Amino acid sequence: MTLNIDPEAPDSIVRRDFLKKLSAASAAAWMSGSPQLVRGEGIARPEAKADACILLWMGGGMAAPETFDPKLYTPFKKGMKADSVLSTFPAIDTSVDNIKICAGMEKIAGVMDRGTLLRSVVQPDLGSILHSRHQYHWHTGYVPPQTVAAPHIGSWMAKVLGPNNEVMPSFINIGQRLEGVGEKEELKAFTTAGFFGSEYGPMNLPFPEEAASAVRPPESMTESRFSNRNKLFRQLVDRNPHRDFASDFQQESLMRSMENAYRLLSSKERDAFDIEREPKEVRKKYDTGRFGRGCLLARRLVENGARFVEVTTEYVPFLHWDTHANGHDTVDRLHKEIDEPVAQLILDLEERGILDRTLVIVASEFSRDAMMEGKPGSTANDQATHKVDQLTEMKHYGLHRHFTGGSSVMMFGGGVKKGHLYGATADERPLITVENPVTITDLHATIMSAMGISPKTEFTVEGRPFYVTKDGTGKPVTEIFA
Amino acid sequence: MRKILSASITSAFLATAQAEVDFVHQVVPILKEHCSECHSGAESKGGFSMNTRALFIDDETAVPGKSHESYFIDLIHDSDPDYQMPPGDYPRMPADQIAMLEMWVNEGMKWEEDFTFGTPTYEPPFLPRRPKLPTITGGTNHPLDRLIDEYLLLNDLEKMEPVDDSTFIRRVTLDLTGLLPGPDRVRSFCGDTSPGKRQALIDELLADDLAYTEHWLTFWNDLLRNDYTGTGFITGGRTQISEWLYQALKENKPFDTMVQELIAPADSASAGFINGIKWRGTVSAGQTLPVQFSQSLSQAFLGINMKCASCHDSFLDRWTLDDAYGLAAIYSDDPLELHRCDKPTGATAKANWIFPEIGNINPAAGKEERLSQLAGLMTHPENGRVPRTIVNRLWGQLMGRGMVHPLDAMQTEPWNEDLLDWIASDFQDNGYDLKHTLRLITTSAAYQSKSVPQEEINDAESYQFRGPHPKRLTAEQFVDAIWQITGNAPASYDAPVARGVIDPALIEQLSFESSWIWGPSARPGPPPHGEKILLRKNFSPNNKVRSAGIIAAADNAYVLYLNGQKILDGSQWNELDAAPVANSIKQENQLLIVAENRGAKPNAAGAFCAVRIEYEDNSDEIVMTDETWQVSQSVPPGSRPGKWNLDELTWTSSVSVNVPQWKSATDKRIGKTLARASAGSDRPVRASLLKADELMRALGRPNRDQIVTSRPSELTTLEAVNLATNGDLVANLKKGAEKLIRAFPAEKLVESIYLSTLSRYPAESEENFASGILGDSPDTATVTDLLWAITMTPEFLIVR
Repeated sequence: MTLNIDPEAPDSIVRRDFLKKLSAASAAAWMSGSPQLVRGEGIARPEAKADACILLWMGGGMAAPETFDPKLYTPFKKGMKADSVLSTFPAIDTSVDNIKICAGMEKIAGVMDRGTLLRSVVQPDLGSILHSRHQYHWHTGYVPPQTVAAPHIGSWMAKVLGPNNEVMPSFINIGQRLEGVGEKEELKAFTTAGFFGSEYGPMNLPFPEEAASAVRPPESMTESRFSNRNKLFRQLVDRNPHRDFASDFQQESLMRSMENAYRLLSSKERDAFDIEREPKEVRKKYDTGRFGRGCLLARRLVENGARFVEVTTEYVPFLHWDTHANGHDTVDRLHKEIDEPVAQLILDLEERGILDRTLVIVASEFSRDAMMEGKPGSTANDQATHKVDQLTEMKHYGLHRHFTGGSSVMMFGGGVKKGHLYGATADERPLITVENPVTITDLHATIMSAMGISPKTEFTVEGRPFYVTKDGTGKPVTEIFA
Repeated sequence: MRKILSASITSAFLATAQAEVDFVHQVVPILKEHCSECHSGAESKGGFSMNTRALFIDDETAVPGKSHESYFIDLIHDSDPDYQMPPGDYPRMPADQIAMLEMWVNEGMKWEEDFTFGTPTYEPPFLPRRPKLPTITGGTNHPLDRLIDEYLLLNDLEKMEPVDDSTFIRRVTLDLTGLLPGPDRVRSFCGDTSPGKRQALIDELLADDLAYTEHWLTFWNDLLRNDYTGTGFITGGRTQISEWLYQALKENKPFDTMVQELIAPADSASAGFINGIKWRGTVSAGQTLPVQFSQSLSQAFLGINMKCASCHDSFLDRWTLDDAYGLAAIYSDDPLELHRCDKPTGATAKANWIFPEIGNINPAAGKEERLSQLAGLMTHPENGRVPRTIVNRLWGQLMGRGMVHPLDAMQTEPWNEDLLDWIASDFQDNGYDLKHTLRLITTSAAYQSKSVPQEEINDAESYQFRGPHPKRLTAEQFVDAIWQITGNAPASYDAPVARGVIDPALIEQLSFESSWIWGPSARPGPPPHGEKILLRKNFSPNNKVRSAGIIAAADNAYVLYLNGQKILDGSQWNELDAAPVANSIKQENQLLIVAENRGAKPNAAGAFCAVRIEYEDNSDEIVMTDETWQVSQSVPPGSRPGKWNLDELTWTSSVSVNVPQWKSATDKRIGKTLARASAGSDRPVRASLLKADELMRALGRPNRDQIVTSRPSELTTLEAVNLATNGDLVANLKKGAEKLIRAFPAEKLVESIYLSTLSRYPAESEENFASGILGDSPDTATVTDLLWAITMTPEFLIVR
C-alpha cells in the first residue's frame, strides 16, 4: 500500500515517511528502544534567518522591572511599604524613542536599535515554584517530569542543522558548573541531548578562561607527542588482525568519532576556544566576570562555526539573579556584569558582518516581583526570605518573589526587527502581560523558525512523536521579524 | 482552501489551523471511537470493513480528495435514524470530529503504510509454555543448542563457528563480571587442555559474588532507575534502593522475590522503585506517582510501553487508557480520575490487572493489600510474561540483541518462540534463579561462537540469528578496565552499600554516641554564619592494620582530608558520609577537616568524624572528634592541604558542642555505617558504585530519571574529544605504564600489554611493530601512549 500524498499540493507536508519503510510487525519494534528515526524530514522548512544562535541566560529569574521593563521607580526609604516597590532603578532612555530600560544598562540601551524587545513572555503555573523546573521548560519546551529525556534546544539545532563548520561542536554551553552547585542534578536533566544521544549533547565549558584546555592535548603533553600518539593509534588499528569482527557501521562510527575529535584538536578552529588570543583592549571590554568572558568566547566560537552557544550568568540557588534577599544591590552588581559584554557582543558581531545571521537572545526562566509569587490565582507558596510589610533595611529592598505573569526577552540580529517593541505588561501591580502574550512554546517556535526549523519538526521515540515545540503546536511570533 | 477548524476540537490532539491532518493521532481515535466496533477486525457490518485503506475506499465508501462524494460522510451527516452512521441508537459524532474526517478525506486520506484496524498478526502467549526439546542433531545435548540447531536447519543457516579461547575468556569475564580477565588467568586458561575448562571458568566467575554484583548493579540500576544522585533527591521526592539491590544481587535473591519486594515493599529499603520521582509543584496527569508506577512496572517487568496508553489509548498496541489507569489505581492512595491527554474525563479508575486470565486485584482492598495482590499476580506460576521479559533481557545483555527486539516491546514476535519459552519456563522451574539462566546461556555453543556483525537496519521481521553480536563496553566497563590496567581505582565510593560481609555483632559493638566539636566561637555560641575553621588530629596505629573506615558529618558543610588526600565531603548535617580508608593509613597520620557554618545569621555549628581501625590481632581502635582536636580559625586558601603551611596557623583546643538533633539524626546509624565502611573490601572500587561523572555520562551512562534498558552502541565525537584531551586518563595510564615497566622485562612488555588489555597474545606483526616503538629500554611516556592507543582501538572498546 502506498501513501496517498500529493507532492504537487502547496506546502504539502510529507509526514512519517519513515513509516513507509516499516512493516506491520516491525511497527511494534518501532514502539520502543530502537534508534530514533528522523521524522518530518519532508516538512517544509521555513527559510532560515540565522545560521547561529547565542542564548545569554540570566539563570535564577531576571526581574523584568529591574532590567528591560522599568515601572515606577521608588527609591529606598527606611520604613517604606513593601507593596510600594515596583522598580528599584530609574528608567533611562535608549537609542529607540519609545523604549526605556533600567539605569545601569546604559550600554545595552545604546544597542537597543539593533534588536526587538519582547515584554510579554509568560510562563505556566506549575504550583510551587522550582527554578530548575522552569529552566527545564525553557530549555527543552517541555515541563518536567517527562516520560522520555527531552533534548535541550541546542541539541535540537545540533540534530536538525548540524554545525556550521563541521570541525566545530554544534552545541557549546558556557558558564554553568554541573558539579558542586545546588540543584545540579536538576540542571543536568535538561543540559543534555536526551533521547538524541550524546553526539548532539553540549560541550560544557563552565570556565571560559579554561576553555582552551578542553581542545588542547592533555596537560604535560607536547603537540608532537600528541600527534605521534594519534599516529600510533592509527597504525595499531591498521595492523589489528581482528578488524572484521565488528560490523562496519559500529567500527566505522568509533573510527569516525576519533577522527572528528582529532580533526578539531589539530585544527586552527581550536584557537577559537582561547580568549587569551584576543587583544588586551578587547578582553578588557568583556572582562566583567565569567559571564563577560563567556560572551567573548561565544563570539569567537560563533565566528568559527558553532551553531548554538549558551552563556549563563550561572544558576546557583540564592545567588546571582536568584535574589531572595538583597535584590537591589545584587541586581546593581549584575547590571555591571552584563551591560558592557552584551552590548559589545552585539557591536562586535555587527562589525564582523554576522549579526544579521546570528540570533542573540537574552532570557531568563521567569521574572520577579516585590509582592507576588507566581501569578494571580497561583497557589505557589511564598518563598521570599524576608516577609516584611515595611522595608527597614537595604536587604529588604528589591524584587524577591518569583513572578510568572510577564517577563522580558531581548533578541538581536537573526532577522528580527531593529528597534522594535513587542507586547506589554501592566504599569500597576499585578504587572501581568496585557498585550500580545507569548508562551514558551511560541517563543521556541519563533526561535526555531528563525533558525530554519519548523515548529512541527518531530522525531520518534518509543513510538511517540516528539516535537521541537510542545506537541508541534508552537506558532512563531512573525511580527517581530523584519 | 483549507477549512479552518474551530478551536473547540476535543479529539485526542489539538490541531492548529494550518496543520495537515495527522492520521494516527487525529483520525484513528475518531474512527476507533465511532466506527471500529462494527467495521474493523473481524467485523464488517453492511459489508464494510475499514481495516485497510484499500478496503475503506472500496465501492466509493470514501473518495480520497472528495468528502462530498464519500458515502460514509453522507451517512454520518444523515439525520434519518434508519440510515445514519453511527446507527441511531449510538451517540452522534460531534461536528468538529466530522469536520476532521472531511478534512482528512479532502487531503487525500493519508494512511500510514501497513496500518490496520485489523488484529495484529502476532499476539504473544501469556501463559508459560514448555516446548519439547528437538532431538539432538548437532551432537550437543545442551538444551539451547538443540533448539538453535533446529532453528538453523529450518532456516537453512550455516552452523556457527566456535570462538577461540582468548576471545571467549574476555567475552565471558566482561559479560558476567564486567571486568577484564587478568593476564595470568588468560595465560592459564589458554594453556589449560582440560575439556571442561570453559564450564569451570563460568562457574568460577558466577561464584565471584562481589564482581558479579558490582557488574550487574549497572544493569539493574538502569532497569529500576536507581542512582546515588539525580533529580528528585534534593526535595526528598525520591529514595534509593541501592543497598537492598546490592544485597539481593550478592545473595542471588530469586527474581520472583525481588519483584515481590519491589512491588509490595515490606520496608523503605526497596520502596524507591514504586514510589518513583516526585517533583515539587504540579505535574501533568501522565507523570503523577500512580501513573509513573503503572509505566515503570509495565516497562521493567512486562516489556510494555504504557507511556502511550497513559495519555490516550495506544495507537500501536492493544493497551488502553483504562489499562494504564487500572494499574495506576493499584498504587494510588486516593480515588484516581482518568485523564486523556492531560484533561480529566470524569471517570474514576478501578484498580485492575491487565492479564485477567490468572486472576485480578480486588479494587475494594486497601493499598497495601492491592500491591500485595499485584506482586502475587506478577510472580504467579501461570504468569509467563514476567519470566519471558527478564530472560530476554539477560539474553540481550549476553548476546547483544534480545530474542525479542526491542527489549521493551515484548508484544513483538521473537525470532524463535520455542527458545524464549523454553528458557523462560526453565528459569521458573529453577526458582527464578538469575545465575542459573546466565549459566545456561553462557554454557551454550551458541554463546561460545564467533560473533557476527550487527547490521544498522535491524528490524524484527527480517532478523535471523547467526550468532552473538559484538557489544560496546559500557561506561562502567571502560572505566573499570582502565583502573584494572593501571591499578588506580579511587579509594572511596558513593553507593550506600556494604561491599564486605558485616557481622551484626560488630554493628552492635560500634553503636556508640557521637561527639561533635567546633572552634572557640561555639562557647557560648552560636558561631557566626560564614565562619570557616580548620580542625586537625594526628594519630598512629599501634599494630598492623587489617581494615579501616571513616564516617563524618557536619553542620553545615565540611571537607575531610586524611594525609593530604581528600576522603569525604558533605553538606547535610543529618547524613553520615562514609569511606573505607585501610589503604590510606600510614605510620603517622593527620586528619584535617575544613568545616563551614552557613546560613543568614549566627547558628549552631559542629563537625563529627570517627575512624575505626581494625588490627590484624582482631583488636580495634576508634579515633573520634573530641576536645583533643586542635582548631585554627583561619583556613588557608585552595584545596590542596599538602601546600598549606600548618605551622604558621594559630592552633587552640576545640570545643565540644552537642545538639540533640544532630545526635538523634546520626547516632542510630553510626554502628551500621562504620561497620560497613571498615568492612569494606580489599577489592578495588568499581565504577558502578560511583556517581556518574562527565566521562561516564559521555560514554553513555544515562541520567536515571527514566528507565533506560539499552546503552548507545556508538562512540560520539565529544566522547572522543574527552578521551583524547583527558589529563586524568593520561595520568592514570602513566601509573599503569610505570607498573608494567617495573613488572616485566622489555622483551615481555608487549605481550603483557596485549594480555592485560585485549586479553590475547599479540600477532607477530603487532609484536614487531610495538617492540620497535618501545625499543630496548622502554620509557614511561611511550608505554603510556601505547596503552592509550590500544584502549582507543575498536577491539578494546568492543566485546567481540
